[in-house]
Amino acid sequence: MKITKKAKREAKQLYRFCLLNGLLDENRARQVVQRFVATGERDCLPILTHFLRLVKLDCVQHTATIESATLLPEDLKTIVQTELAHRYGLGLTTAFAQRPELIGGMRIQVGCDVYDGSVRAGLEALKRSF
Amino acid sequence: MADLLNEIKAQIAGAKVTAAKQNVGVIREVGDGVAKIEGLSDAMLNEMIDLGNGVTGLALNLDETEVGVVILGDFTQLKEGGEARTTGKLLQVPVGKGLLGRVVNLLGEPIDGKGPIKSDKTYPVEKTAPGIIRRRSVNQPVQTGIMPIDAMIPIGRGQRQLIIGDRGTGKTTICIDTMISQARLNKAAELAGDKDYRPLYCIYVAIGQKQSTIARVISVLEQAGAMPYTIVVASPASDSAANQYLVPFAGAAMGEWFMDNGMDALIVFDDLSKQAVAYRQVSLLLKRPSGREAYPGDVFYLHSRLLERAARVGEKYGNGSLTALPIIETQSGDVSAYIPTNVISITDGQIFLETDLFHQGVRPAINVGISVSRVGSAAQLKAVKQVAGQLKGDLAQFRELAAFAQFGSDLDEKTQAQIDRGRRIMEIFKQKQYNPIPVEIQVVVIWAAQNGYLDQVPVPRVKEFQNKLTEYFTTRKGQLLAKIEREKELGDELKAELKAAAEEFKQTWK
Repeated sequence: MKITKKAKREAKQLYRFCLLNGLLDENRARQVVQRFVATGERDCLPILTHFLRLVKLDCVQHTATIESATLLPEDLKTIVQTELAHRYGLGLTTAFAQRPELIGGMRIQVGCDVYDGSVRAGLEALKRSF
Repeated sequence: MADLLNEIKAQIAGAKVTAAKQNVGVIREVGDGVAKIEGLSDAMLNEMIDLGNGVTGLALNLDETEVGVVILGDFTQLKEGGEARTTGKLLQVPVGKGLLGRVVNLLGEPIDGKGPIKSDKTYPVEKTAPGIIRRRSVNQPVQTGIMPIDAMIPIGRGQRQLIIGDRGTGKTTICIDTMISQARLNKAAELAGDKDYRPLYCIYVAIGQKQSTIARVISVLEQAGAMPYTIVVASPASDSAANQYLVPFAGAAMGEWFMDNGMDALIVFDDLSKQAVAYRQVSLLLKRPSGREAYPGDVFYLHSRLLERAARVGEKYGNGSLTALPIIETQSGDVSAYIPTNVISITDGQIFLETDLFHQGVRPAINVGISVSRVGSAAQLKAVKQVAGQLKGDLAQFRELAAFAQFGSDLDEKTQAQIDRGRRIMEIFKQKQYNPIPVEIQVVVIWAAQNGYLDQVPVPRVKEFQNKLTEYFTTRKGQLLAKIEREKELGDELKAELKAAAEEFKQTWK
């Protein structure tokens, strides 16, 4: 589907309507989509497709994925969550996952930022340096 | 053993584990040498992007949600959904004298099979041109060894002289001749132990050319002994459009190193029309808005920022220079097309080559009437200026009169003499390819022509006369030639010696 510049611009406007104090408000997003669909506008599909992409990117930007070789103890999880909230502000969703191939250490990804302190990343860096 | 264990334990105890922050993105689209990457929020313009599998890209489009990247390598290994990361580095190439005599690609990697390049320094491919404070006007000549150029369209060190013409008119040959001439002068100065001579190193940038053509150029340079003073940077037609667009900048970076270190260098861009086409392709693939002839709006800036890097810097800044000889290929002699007019306006002069002249046997096929050097005369040797000062005007007059004479009307003696002189001068300007003429020989030949020594020679025998005169001076009057070269000016004494020698030669000429 071809998404025109105009459609992208309008999708961006819709996305801005959904922001509350700089953060995406889920209820507003739902309402915007419902009402927009109800209007039956001609460019509805490309606009909403791009809107979906913007929402998806926003979700990624506000999601922290914390991976470790073994499950982390609760106290460490709390420390990590607090540190991330301190660095990236409120509205951050955190998800913990277990990845044995990391061997040890932790890998944290928040949007585009990656902090890789895993043993595997260290070994790869060492491999590259040779 | 116990010591070793203790040492390792101590190292572990003192080790500090840090996790450096990285900026990553996901490849959303890949094809035709271009990738769109979602994320990479910290990417900088022209930053190198690690695309995985040892493939590198260059960030050219920074959009709100994605980054447009041109891929510098084999993009067939990349897949949608793959991870890309910023490197924090700009595209860089190795620089230095270690590159002389080598053939390299865009990244400065050797492609001549002669092993790794000895260079420990790198320069960014995109670099800001020297500012007005650092610059000075040209005052030293580039001896091309091509008589019509050295006499009438002189080039100075630090100048940007465009060579423009249709295909097959001898544009590359002029540049190769110039490079061979520099190599000969460099070698002669080295052998003579002349410490005042500033060697001129050459960089030949081949853009979008056939591999066979590049191989031929290299072979000519090797045969002429010019390779030890030359770097060849090649991006042949089989390279991606991104490589072809970037390779002139890589060559310029290599040339800038010489300039920054107080040396002189000459760079040939062969040719910028192909670079503009490659840039158009990259821009269209990146979905940048297109303008005239589908070129992007910044195609002028593409060439201006490249050619502005050629400069002559002041003594305070090392006294180095980078001379640029960009080549533009025209279609059916149309110099008013988009790219030719852009480059004409950027450069300090242009040498027009014409197909008609080429087919008439005038080689190099330079149209002297519309060729011009805006700054080079300031750097021209005084001896050349003395003998060739009137040449351009004389030839212009000759062309007008010759056109008039075509109607078959009777001509007075003076007009006929002017036409005859013009024909003879046109003859002496014909020159074999890859055979640059030393400046002192040029002075002698033009002096002889200007002083009427050729007037009695039939036009078809002018070339023969010139060759014999050259041979005579080279074999018998070596000291006189050396004197011209040393003094760089024709004083009364030198003129008298020249006259005596020419008279002596005239006695032997049959």
